[in-house]
This record gives sequence, structure tokens and C-alpha cells, in this order.
Amino acid sequence: MPRKDFIAIDNFSFSYGAAKVLHGINMDIPEKQVTALIGPSGCGKSTLLRNMNRMNDLIEGVQHEGDIRLDGKSLYDPNVEVISLRKRVGMVFQKYNPFAKTIYENVVFSLRVAGRNKRSELDDVVERTLRSAALWDEVKDRLHTSAFGLSGGQQQRLCIARAIANQPEILLMDEPCAALDPTATLRIEDLIRDLKEQFTIVIVTHNMEQASRCSDLTAFLYMGELVEYDRTLKVFETPKEERTEAYISGRFS
Amino acid sequence: MTHIIRIGGLAVILAVFGIFFFILKEIIPLFSKAEVVAESVAKTGTSPKVIGVDEWGERPFLYSGGSEIVVLAGEEGARQAVEVPSLAGVEVTAVSYDPVHHRVAVGLADGRVGSFVVKYESVFREGEPRKVDVSVEEEPWYELEAGSGAVRSVSYGDGGSKRLISVVRDEGVAVVQLAQKRSLIGAGKLTRVGETDLSERIRTEVISTVASQNGQAVLMATADGQVHYFLMDAGALDEVQTFQPFEGKPPKRMDYLFGGVSVAMTDESGQQRVFSLFRPEGSNTRLFGQTKEFGPVGEGTPVFASSLRNKSFLCGAGGGLAVRHLTSGATRWEGTAEFEPVAVTIDGKAENFFLAGAEGQVQRFSLHDPHPESGWRAFFGKVWYEGGSEPVHQWQSTGGSDDFEPKLSLVPLIIGSLKGTFYALLFSIPIALLAAVFSAAFLPPAMKRVVKPAMEIMASLPSVVLGFLAGIWLAPLIEDKVPSILLTCLVLPTVALLFGAGWSRVPIQVRHRFEHGREWIVLLPLVLIGGWLAWSLGPVIEKWFFVYTDPSTGKAIADFRLWWPQATGLSFDQRNSLVVGFAMGFAVIPVIFTIAEDALSNVPRTLTAAAAALGASRWQVVRTIFIPVASPGIFSALMIGFGRAVGETMIVVMATGNTPVKEWNIFSGMRTLSANIAVELPEAAPGSTHYRTLFLGALVLFLLTFVLNGVAEVLRQRLREKNKLV
Repeated sequence: MPRKDFIAIDNFSFSYGAAKVLHGINMDIPEKQVTALIGPSGCGKSTLLRNMNRMNDLIEGVQHEGDIRLDGKSLYDPNVEVISLRKRVGMVFQKYNPFAKTIYENVVFSLRVAGRNKRSELDDVVERTLRSAALWDEVKDRLHTSAFGLSGGQQQRLCIARAIANQPEILLMDEPCAALDPTATLRIEDLIRDLKEQFTIVIVTHNMEQASRCSDLTAFLYMGELVEYDRTLKVFETPKEERTEAYISGRFS
Repeated sequence: MTHIIRIGGLAVILAVFGIFFFILKEIIPLFSKAEVVAESVAKTGTSPKVIGVDEWGERPFLYSGGSEIVVLAGEEGARQAVEVPSLAGVEVTAVSYDPVHHRVAVGLADGRVGSFVVKYESVFREGEPRKVDVSVEEEPWYELEAGSGAVRSVSYGDGGSKRLISVVRDEGVAVVQLAQKRSLIGAGKLTRVGETDLSERIRTEVISTVASQNGQAVLMATADGQVHYFLMDAGALDEVQTFQPFEGKPPKRMDYLFGGVSVAMTDESGQQRVFSLFRPEGSNTRLFGQTKEFGPVGEGTPVFASSLRNKSFLCGAGGGLAVRHLTSGATRWEGTAEFEPVAVTIDGKAENFFLAGAEGQVQRFSLHDPHPESGWRAFFGKVWYEGGSEPVHQWQSTGGSDDFEPKLSLVPLIIGSLKGTFYALLFSIPIALLAAVFSAAFLPPAMKRVVKPAMEIMASLPSVVLGFLAGIWLAPLIEDKVPSILLTCLVLPTVALLFGAGWSRVPIQVRHRFEHGREWIVLLPLVLIGGWLAWSLGPVIEKWFFVYTDPSTGKAIADFRLWWPQATGLSFDQRNSLVVGFAMGFAVIPVIFTIAEDALSNVPRTLTAAAAALGASRWQVVRTIFIPVASPGIFSALMIGFGRAVGETMIVVMATGNTPVKEWNIFSGMRTLSANIAVELPEAAPGSTHYRTLFLGALVLFLLTFVLNGVAEVLRQRLREKNKLV
């Protein structure tokens, strides 16, 4: 039975130095579902996402209040190793960013850093992962060529493959299609729908249609506050809040 | 704006090329051969035995065994006879000529020997060009007690206060010793102090003799090809050595070369073997050993003249002529004469040489060879120098006397440059690169803002200050603390590594208290303790491992400085490569650090974040992302650091002994190409071989960095291609 509060965000506030960007967010993200975070630029949706695998730790002068719990366990527990946390929470970035390595090495990166170097295992993972990322047929003949030889959409799918290779539980996607053309975007969206069978996906997007097409739940953030959070259909068709409605209908962005 | 930049860039390239061409212009003459121009032949009608000439090459004289010398005037065909009265009515059977003193030694049929000096005197008269007057100064005759019959060979060795005349007669061999008292008032009378009869000491027939120019030694060649070497020792002639220059046949000529250390033995084809005095291992007496061999020049009676300026000499046989140089072993010029010379001479400035033929022909050749001692072999090959027991690479450009043989091998300097660079980089690369990685990938930005400018201030320290501190303060300070330093170099990295290994095992709750990049707060005291321990344990280690046993007393002393030479056979100097490594490393660290840190900091955050998001530890991010992506920049940093170290001058001038040794021993000094230029260029006469050789050193330095940077640039482009970002 999938957990309803797989990621539990509990009165979470966050600030970069003096600038407070998240104000007491409360939301539960269910397991094996796609949850979209939408909102205008600067609303804090990316910050919230990046807190789910503590990527914001890399930035100087950040502070947080409240808590985020993953499967009931706090991310900020002093006993939590950030590295093992990140092994459970994969991440895909806005701009596709493959490493200057071969396609193969990109996919197995997370396994190699975890000390898994057995050739047969890696080969299996590469095939399985690239199939999951719907990239296998396109690249199976050139696994050992540079990842930069791929098209933008393929590179982003490779980044998704890279993020899921080590079987994380959660996949965070920070505007994964922002740098892609419409065709490539559609393919990624298909992929997202396929991947939710295996992973809990949280996706930040600017694209309302994308949110409506591929997410199960949608959260609308505005000025660092969670305005509305419900089933996607409900948010888009019968928003409770006026601000949500205004945003969705394109009156501000 | 772009125009200004373009013009500026072009100007820089032009300037570099300008420097390059200036250097090239200075060194090209080093590689030119001698220029010899034959002039017209003058006829005198006498059949000369010797020919001599004044310092300026203006008035050659011929002596043919009679009672006069024939002096040629500057003008075509004009000649003047100068009488030598005491030679009237005697039969001259042997003649030799000493060009240094313009002295003709003669031996007579009645067994007497004597000599006269041709005096050249410059006369300056108002409104007239300088004239050279020639006169003859006769010297005493000496009757020989030893032997009988006519004199067949005579040689006058003039060493100033001590002189020898070596004589070979029909029967018997003798050496007359002369002495001259010298005081403040001037030279006193020349007195005969003795005569040594060598007839009994050389059993075979002696055919020729030559006395050395210092009046201390004679060589006797016998008919069976042996050469006997006698040396004056405490007023008596001792036979020191017998050797055989040519298998089974005597040398046709034996001639001392400029400096009196080497003798050229010439056979009838003009084939030459040069023998130089050297000190064999374990001996105190200098003996002759063959150092050079030159091929034949022609078939006939050999003629020979040594330059009085350098180690060049003119030799000929038949019609063949060659100007050769002893040190480099090179034939500077080769040609054929219009007639077969019977005597040759070189003027004092080595700008002209003269041939005299059997029918009294005299031909002047102008010789232009300003750099006879240079050449590829002299600069880069092993050369057998006078006094050496084997061919070596050696740099010793100046000496105490005019007849010094310059040793111009650049090899010890190139090795010195590379050695200094090697030890400096050995010290600086690990520190600078690890510091750059730490600063770029680990250090919190707030600290980075302090560290980076601090390192840049380090780069602004003038190298003369660093060199001064290294030579005057650091070198004596660490001289007796070598074991402590070695131990510290070993302990500090070990402590850091152990700390790293231990820290990852510390429970997360403890580690949590330190912000990422501030773990050094824990490491620092450990490093200080480790360093202090290593430093204080140094003397203990010295007592255990570095004990020197005095060979004469058997006493054991714990001193690394004494132990090192005894254990390895290498020297230990106070100002050594270790000191240079520290001082030059100090200058190189900020260069490498700054550039490498910039390269690492410019690695896109998206990549490092992606790697971190995939569960890579900080160190794994460094290894898999930071270093590969920044590798072209890191490579540039290393190359610029290398260039800085190779070209560094003041630190090496001040902190090394500037000894041009050819070894990699860390505890000896070095002389680098750049230091060599700095030290010697102010003293080199512009246009001299020495001066131009220093420029050659500059070119080698230029090419060294140019080639290395070129190769590095190609490698860097490859790295960039391999790790390029979309």
C-alpha cells in the first residue's frame, strides 16, 4: 500500500541569508505518484524541491525551520549522511548536464561512486535503465561514445537515466523540459508517466499544460507560500483559491 | 577597441620575435667556420728553415741558416736583410723558432748552441703611419760537454727565470739549464747553471727534441718511435714517462700548443695526435695521455704553427693545410697551398698566417676565426679538455691566465636548470594543487575570500628577497636539520591522510558539528603536533641512521652532513637544491595555485551539483568532475609554474652555490642557464665567444620553455577536447 505521506513537509521555512523564500510549507507527497510544483518565478518551488535532497546545503548562509521527513524520517536528523540520502533521492536538472564521459559512464556514475564496479552488473543496469528512460534503442550502438553526441532531448533522458540508475525511491525534476523543444518535451512527459510505476516523482514546472498532462497532484506556490495543493484535475478545473485561478488562466506569471 | 587589442597582440608577438632574432644574431657567428683569404706570393730567393712574424703580421722574416735574416717589408717585394754577426763563418746544422719570444735557436756543426731574438719595435713618427723596425739581439753561445758531433736538433724553452736548451747531437743528447735573476730593477744576467747529459739515459738514437715553454720539461723522440718525457725537479732532470705516439715510427714533429700543456705529434702525412698532461688517479705527477686525434692533411714534410691567442694551430703536409682547434677537435679550415711550405707561422693576434716555400716564396693568408673554440661538440658534446682524464661536459668560461682553455659545455647548465625546476616543482606542485582543490571544492566561500588574496600576495614577493632569505637565513638554518626536514615531509602528509581516514569513521553526530570545509580546525592541531614531533625526532633519527664514522679516528658522529657524502659518495653543500626547492617552490606555489584554483572554480556548478545529487562524496566529486573538467586549466597552471621555475634567476643566483655540476644530488647546488647569464654576462666582453655562448644559453632557455609550452598547449587542447562542455 503506497504511503500517503511519503515525503512529509512539516511547517517548513527556508531563507537564503536574510531573504526568506519559503514560509511554513505543509504538504504530504504520496508515494509512486507524480506531484507537480507550479507557481510564478521566484515563488520558491525550486528551493522546496532542492531541499528534498538537501542540495541547498551546498549554498552558503542558508537556514531552515520546520522539517521534511522522508518515509517518516527527518532529512535533518544529525544521523543522516547526506550522501546516502542523495542515493535515495535522484535529481534531474533544468538544463541537461551530462558529464564529459561516455553514455555508458554517465549512466553508471551513481553506481561507481557507490563502489559498485562489477562489469556484468553495470552492463545490466545500463540496459535496464536506458530502456526505462526510453533511450536504449537510440543509443545501444554507441554506448561508449561521448554523451555530447546526443541531441538535447536525448541528453536530458540520459540525465534521467543517470538519476534512476541506482534505484532511488524519489526522483526530483527541476523543470526538466525547460531547455527542450516540444517533441522532446512530449517524450519526457511520456517517460515521466512510465516512471511513476517505480518512483515517487516531484516535478517543478513552469508549463501548466505539462503539469496537467503528467502529474497526479499539483501544488501551487506563491511568494513562498503553499496556496493550493490537491488532485491535478481539481486544481486546474475547480481551483479553490482565486490566486490559483488567476495564475492558471494566465493572468500573471 | 578590437583594433587596439589586435595591434597590442601583434606588437607582443613582434617583440618576442624581435628578441628571438636578436639572440639569434648574437649566436650565429659561433657556428661559422674560419675564413681564410690567400694573398699574393712574394719571392725572396732564400731557402728558409724558419719563418717568424711580428705581432701585427706586418713584417715576416725568414732565416735560412746563414748569417742574416731576410725581413719582408709591408710593400710588395720590398725586403731588408738584417745581419746576425756571430753567425758569420759558422755552419748551422739545426734551427728552431719560438714564436712567443721571436727567438731563433741554432745548433752548429761544431756542437755549439746559441740563439738570437728578432726584435720588432713600433716606431711612431708625426704624420706617418706606424712603422715596425726590425733588429736582431744576439744571445750567448754555449759549448756542450756532453756528446760529440754536429747539433741535429735544438730547442729553446724560455720560462723567464728558468730556461732550458735541449740539444741532440750526432752522438749524445744534452740539456743546458740557464737561470736568470729577476729583481725590482729588472732582469739580471743569464747564467748557465748546469748541463745534464741524457746520453746514458736514452739508449736508442734520439732524432728530435722539444723543450717546453715554461723551461721545465723536455721531450725527446727516438728512432724507434718512443718519446721520453723529462721534467725538472729540484734542479735535476727526471725521466717521468715514456710513451709511443705512433706505432713503430717516430713523430716527424713535436710541438707544444698554446698553454704548454698539450703537445701535438705529427707524422709525415700530417696525421696528428695530441697528448695532454693529466693527473692519473692516485698519482701526483702529471703524465701525457692522448686526448685528440686529427686526420692527415697531405703527404710530405709536416709544418706546424701554434696560435698565441687560443688553442688553434695551423698544420700542413705536402700542399695540404688545415687550421685546427685543440679543444673542440674541429678542423676550422682546410685548403691547399700553391707551393709546398717548409715553414709556417701565425701572427700574435691570430689574424694572419704565413707560408714559406723552399724557393723563398712567402705567402700571407688572412685568417678570420673569432670563435674557434665553439661548435656543437663544444657546447653539447663531451670534450676531452687539457688536464682531464676523460671527456666531460664542463662549464668553466674564464680562468686565471690568458692561456686558459675555456670549457663551454651548456649541458651542466641545462641539467642545473632542470634540476632546480624539478626540486622546486616537487615541493610546490603537490602543495599548490591540493590547496587549489581544497580552496575550490571544499573551502567555505567566506574563507576562500581570505585565502585567495593571501596567496596572491605571496606571489608578489620579489624573488631577490626570497633568494636572499633562502641563501642567508634558510640555508644555514636547515643545514644541520636535514633529518628533521625529511621526517617532517614524511609525517605531515601521513598525518593528513590518517586524519582523513579517521574522520570518516567518526560518528556523524560529531562530524555534524563542523560545517563542510571547516574540518581543518580539527586537523590543524594534529598537523602542528605531528610537525613538532617530527622536527624534534629528527636528531634521534640522525643518531640511529645517519652516523658518520671518521675513517682516521674511527669515531662515530651523528651528522647527516657527514654521513651523506660517506654513504652515497655525493657532496653535501649548505646551499643546495633542497633550499632552492623551498625558496623557488615558495615563488611557484602562488602561480600554480591561482591559475589552478580559477580553473577549478570555473567548473560548472550544474556538473558538480549533478554529481553530488547522484550520491558522490565531496572527494568523489573532486575526482570525477572537478579535476577532469578543470584539467586543461590545471595543466596550464603547471606549465606556467614550470616556466616560472625554469626562468627564475635571482633565487638560484643567491641560494645555490652556482657550481655548474652535472648531477641530480639534492644536497648539492647547481648553476642554471638563467643564473649563468646573470652572473657572467656583465663580465663577458661583447662579441667574444664567451659573450655569444651566454646568448646561446639564453636561446636554449628560450627553446626549452618554448618547446615545452608548445607541447603543453597541444596536450591542453586535447584535454579540453576530451572534457569539453557542450
